[in-house]
Order: sequence, then C-alpha cells, then structure tokens
Amino acid sequence: MTMDDVRTRVKSVIAHVLKADSALIADEANFIFDLGADSMQSLELVAAFEEEFGIEMDEDKALEVQTVNEAVEFISGYLRKKQ
Amino acid sequence: MSLRHLSNDEITRLESQGCWAEDWRQVHVSADFSPHRVQNSRFFGTVELGRFSADVELEPDILRPSGIYESTLQDCSIGDDVRIAAVGELVRYRVEDGVVLQQIGKLTVIGQTTFGNGTALDVVNEGGGRSLLIFDRLSAQLAYCLVHYRHDAEFIQRLEAMIREYCAAKRSARGIIGCNARIEGCAVLENLVVGPYAEIRGAAELCDGTLASNEADPVRIGAGVVARNFIVQSGSHIGDGVLLYHCFLGQGVRLGKQFSAEHSAFFANCEGFHGEAVSVLAGPYTVTHHKSTLLIAAHFSFFNAGSNSNQSNHMYKLGPLHQGLFERGSKSGSGSYLLWPCRIGAFTVVMGKHTANFDSSDLPFSYIDVQDGKSFITPAMNLFTVGTKRDSAKWPSRDRRRDLDKRDRIHFDLFNPFVLGRVLRGMDLLDKLAETTPSEQEVVKHKGLYIKRLLLKTCRKFYEIAVQVSIGQMLVDKLEASHTLSWFALKRELATESAIGKGEWIDVCGLLVPKVKMEELLCEIRSGAIPDLEQLDSRFDAWYNGCSIDCWAWLVGLIEKRLERTWDQIEIQHLEKLVQEWRDQGIKLNNLILHDAEKEFDVDSRIGYGIDGDGEIADGDFTAVRGSLAENSFICQLQEENRKIIERAESLLKRLQSLSQ
Repeated sequence: MTMDDVRTRVKSVIAHVLKADSALIADEANFIFDLGADSMQSLELVAAFEEEFGIEMDEDKALEVQTVNEAVEFISGYLRKKQ
Repeated sequence: MSLRHLSNDEITRLESQGCWAEDWRQVHVSADFSPHRVQNSRFFGTVELGRFSADVELEPDILRPSGIYESTLQDCSIGDDVRIAAVGELVRYRVEDGVVLQQIGKLTVIGQTTFGNGTALDVVNEGGGRSLLIFDRLSAQLAYCLVHYRHDAEFIQRLEAMIREYCAAKRSARGIIGCNARIEGCAVLENLVVGPYAEIRGAAELCDGTLASNEADPVRIGAGVVARNFIVQSGSHIGDGVLLYHCFLGQGVRLGKQFSAEHSAFFANCEGFHGEAVSVLAGPYTVTHHKSTLLIAAHFSFFNAGSNSNQSNHMYKLGPLHQGLFERGSKSGSGSYLLWPCRIGAFTVVMGKHTANFDSSDLPFSYIDVQDGKSFITPAMNLFTVGTKRDSAKWPSRDRRRDLDKRDRIHFDLFNPFVLGRVLRGMDLLDKLAETTPSEQEVVKHKGLYIKRLLLKTCRKFYEIAVQVSIGQMLVDKLEASHTLSWFALKRELATESAIGKGEWIDVCGLLVPKVKMEELLCEIRSGAIPDLEQLDSRFDAWYNGCSIDCWAWLVGLIEKRLERTWDQIEIQHLEKLVQEWRDQGIKLNNLILHDAEKEFDVDSRIGYGIDGDGEIADGDFTAVRGSLAENSFICQLQEENRKIIERAESLLKRLQSLSQ
C-alpha cells in the first residue's frame, strides 16, 4: 500500500469518526486543535485506524500522534512491519 | 465528688451575691466549695456544685474566673472549675470539670431521651424501606449492612435489635457536657449530649443529638447551625449556618457554608459545602463543594460532585421511590444530571444530562456522556486520566481522623480485588459484545448504555493493562518483601492456603472484603453467634486486618486462572513474565496518564492567559501562573515512577534468575 493510499484511508476514517468532510482535512491538520477531537474521539480514532488497517497499535504511542501526517507515518510503520 | 450541705454563712453570702434557691437544702457542694464565685444565679431542684478556684482561658490572654454567674440551674451537677455565665436555663445536666458555658439561651433536657441515638434515617430511598438507625458508634460498614441487606429480614431484625438495645442504655432524663467542652453564644440546646473537648460557638438550635467528641479529636459546631435528631462523631466540624435534620456525621466530616441535609448519613472525611443532600448514604470521602448541587436518594463513596450536578428520584408516579448507586471513586461532572434508578460503576465520570436508566457496574473506569440525547459509555477511559491517579494518591493523605478508635474501616488501594473483579467482568463483557456485534453495526447497547462498537476491543486492551499492572504490583511488593534465596522456599512462602479471598469481592462502604465473608456474617448474625455490636465491630476489624491475606489469595487465584496452572505448577519464568508485564504495562499506563497530564499545558489550556498581550505574553503569563510542563510536580513524579519501575523490575528479575532451584 502506498503512502497516498494510507493517507486517503486515514482521512476517510477521520471523516467518519469526527463527522468531517474528508476533502477538507489537511495533511497538517491537528486532531484536537484543527479537527476538534476530544479525548474520547481520540480513542475512537485509534480503534478505527486499527480496524481499517487490520493492525494493533501501541496505545500510548498511538495517542501521542497529533496530526494527519503523523498518523499516516505511524500507521505506515505498522503496515511495513506487517508485510 | 464528696458533697456536703451549704452552711448558713455560705447561704447568707450567696444571697448577698444575688443568688436564690428554691430550697437551699437541695444545693450540695464539694468539700472545698467557696461561694464567692457564685453570683446572681438561681437554683431549682437538686443542684450539686464543685470547686470553683481556677481561672478559665476563654481566648489566648483572656482569663475569666470559673464559677456561676447570671444563670439559672435546675437539677444539675456541676464539676470543678466550670464557668457558667449568662445561661438562661441549664436544666438536668451533668457538667464535667473544666467546662465553659456562656451566653446560652437554654440548655435543657426534657423528659426521657436517647439524645439522637436510635433516630431512623430514610437513606438511599426517600420513600423509606431502608431505615438506618443511627447511634454514636455507628460505622460505615454497619450502615451498609442495614441499608443494603434488606432482602434478609432476619439479619436486619437482629441488627436493629442490637442497636435498639444499645440506644436503650443511652436513654436518660439527664444530659452530659463532657470535660473541657465549651459552649458559647448559642440559642437553644435541647436534649443534647456533648462529649469532652467539644466546642459549640454560636449555634442557633441543636436538639436531640449527640456530639461524640473526645480530646484526641474534638467536635466543633459553629455559627448559625441548626441540627435536629442527629449524631456527630469525633473530629467533625460543622459551621456557617448548616441545617441538618435527621442526620449522621461520622468522623472527620466537614460541613459548612450553608449546606443543608436531611435523612442523610456522612461517613469518614466527607465534605459538604453550599449544596444539599437528601436521603443520602455518603460513604467515606464523599465530597460536594458547590452551590446548586443536590445529592439525593443514593449511595456514594469516594465521590466528587461537580457544580450544579443533581439527580431526580421522582418520576411523578408513585412518589420519590427511585434510588441510585455511585460506586467508589466516581464523579459527576459540572451540570450533569441523572434520572434514578441508575448504578454507576467504580471510578467513572458522568457528564451531561441523562434521562435513561442505566447500570455501568460491569464497566469501571469509564466516561459516560450524552450524544444526541443518548447515554454513551467509553469503558476504561478513566484508567489513564490524571484525576484518577491523583485521587487515589490523595485520599490516604487526607484522612483527617485523629481518634484512635476509627469507626470506619477504609481501604484505599486503587486496584483491589473488588475493582479488578469488575474490570475482569468488563473484559468478558467487551469480548462477548465484540464477538456478537456485526461490523456494520456502529453502536451496541448494554444495560441502558450505548457503546461504540469500534471501542470494544480497544477498551478491553486498556482493561488488560490495568490487570497486568495490578497483578505485577501485588506480586512485586510480595517478592520484594521476601529475602529467601531458594525458589522452593519462595514458592512456599508465596503459596496461599486460604481459598476465602479467591471469589468475588464487595466494597462494604470503604472496607473491601470477599463476598463469602459477608455471607458468613449474615449467618452468624441470624444464628445469634454474633450477639452484640461489640462483637460485630470485632468482626469488621478482623475483615480489615485480614484484607492483605485475602487479597493475596485472590491474586494467587487470578494468576492460576490466567496461567491455567495451579500454584504448584508455577515456574520461575512465569513470575519473570509477570514482572516483565508489570514493567512494560506500568510504564505504558503511566505514559498514557502523562499524555493526559500534558494536555493541561497545551495551546487550548492557555486560552485566557496574557489578557492584553500577544502569544509570548500569554506563554509568560501561563508559565508564571501554572508553571511549566517540565517542572510540574505530578509529571516529574510520574516520570520518576517510571524510572523506579524499571529499576525494581531489573532488580527482581536478576534475583529471580539467581534463585537456587
């Protein structure tokens, strides 16, 4: 899976969980400050990413991820390991 | 006190000092009584007077003579060096040595009374049916039994009979003001027992009550307090216009700032300011500090009420019959509302206005909020919040009870067999829901609460962290306490012969105990094997003191279950694995908490700082007021804790590897 594929799917998950328009989600967008995620939605995002990509992430590290770009990078790391 | 009649000279002297007696022959005095400190007072019935020779220190550097001045006494016994001044009516009291009574409208006993002992409170259910008989040695544990074990009528009858017998012994037509108590500036005090060293200043009305004060931990009652039908145990302070009707206050309670309560019991270290409590069983550390906060018809413990949070127990049908349970460590967020009946699991935060009835007891450490009018639960969310960690650390340090005889037995551990038992139930539940919920379904409903399907697996993982940390913590503590060098000896040392702790645990209003022990107690009360309150107290003490043994038995049972082997089959590598898990998961949990704490320093937290300046000024203002992330004591402490976890784990792992087999 290319980084662009990961990015598209990450944005789709974010749009679904945070009820946002995926087209309007910037790569640099911060989950909390730009996209308005609260702590419970942050947890939901982690769960949704895991389900979307079929991975199990390290919870404390996953919750440190702040932006869309960081999420793409973080998830790609797991996908590489998976391959 | 050896007493004698007054001499004629003494009577003449007393009359010359403005005194009058209905019958001077009924006034008895101590052998060394001197009449010069008895002035302008009247005596009715039988009065006994002690020696008045010392001065009394009212305030630092304000000394006044002991004696009786401008007061009226009837059927009283007055000890040595008592000062009674401007007391309108002092009737049927034994006043012990060193007491000060000043500017009191009336302090009287009328008829036979039990001084509040035996008063029935309609707690938890405002409509009745859970009457709590209060008395001056009531404990949170006994209250729990009386209030919640109504299904066992014989058990309740026996307990109530014990209490009634105790209260009957308190019945008297004469009250006591204990030694060195001080009562000043009060209006009406009726049928009141005041224990030693109590201070009552400016109370408006105290009727039918007992202040179980003592030297170690005096009771203090302040200005404007009105209390009727009540018991207050040692170390409790009430002030600032508090209104209490049919209430019990345990040890170290603080009520003030116009708080009002009726039919409510507050146990050790509770705090109530501004708000209102009705039909509440407030277990240890129940705290409500704000106006517009109502606690009604529920059982709380280790609870913190947010401002403007309240509950309804009345659905305008058969009356105010609904009730609620907040298990230990929970909070109601500001402005939150609950419609009873509900049961909120341990260490859970409730936010928003809920109109559904729900039960989250199988899902502790949760957040419960409202989304689109529905009550949603996020299980395990409160496991890794700063608040939970801080609360669990602060409770023991805030135990303000100084009385050596502590009535309420309290266990403080955050992770204990009761709470972890619920966590394990939560894990099973989440597993089951995850298995049975189709992936296209977004939410799943459980006991009135909605859970997002996506969260089922994630939240279960968080519960697993808590379990691994708890198992490891208890094991590490035990291993560190052992100094044996052989694996065989260590294994024997850690083995448990008791099976008692291995089952379900309950939280008996602060005291954690295997359920089987409560079941035994029910039998023993019913059979008469425990015949009185003293023996019942001893049993609660035994539970409290035996907790660590039972707790270890529970842990051994859990380890056996998780490793699918008996303790005999446990090998060194199994313990090594548990220690490694403790290290890894403990650090992970602390990092999650650190992450939560760091939010307190993010950009959003700086909103409102630097009122007239730019970002730099806002940062400067924030740092000046709040400090920095790097220097925050809580954060530093957590980082230090992580370092120690690594050190302790390494040291233990080395030791385990070096044990002779």
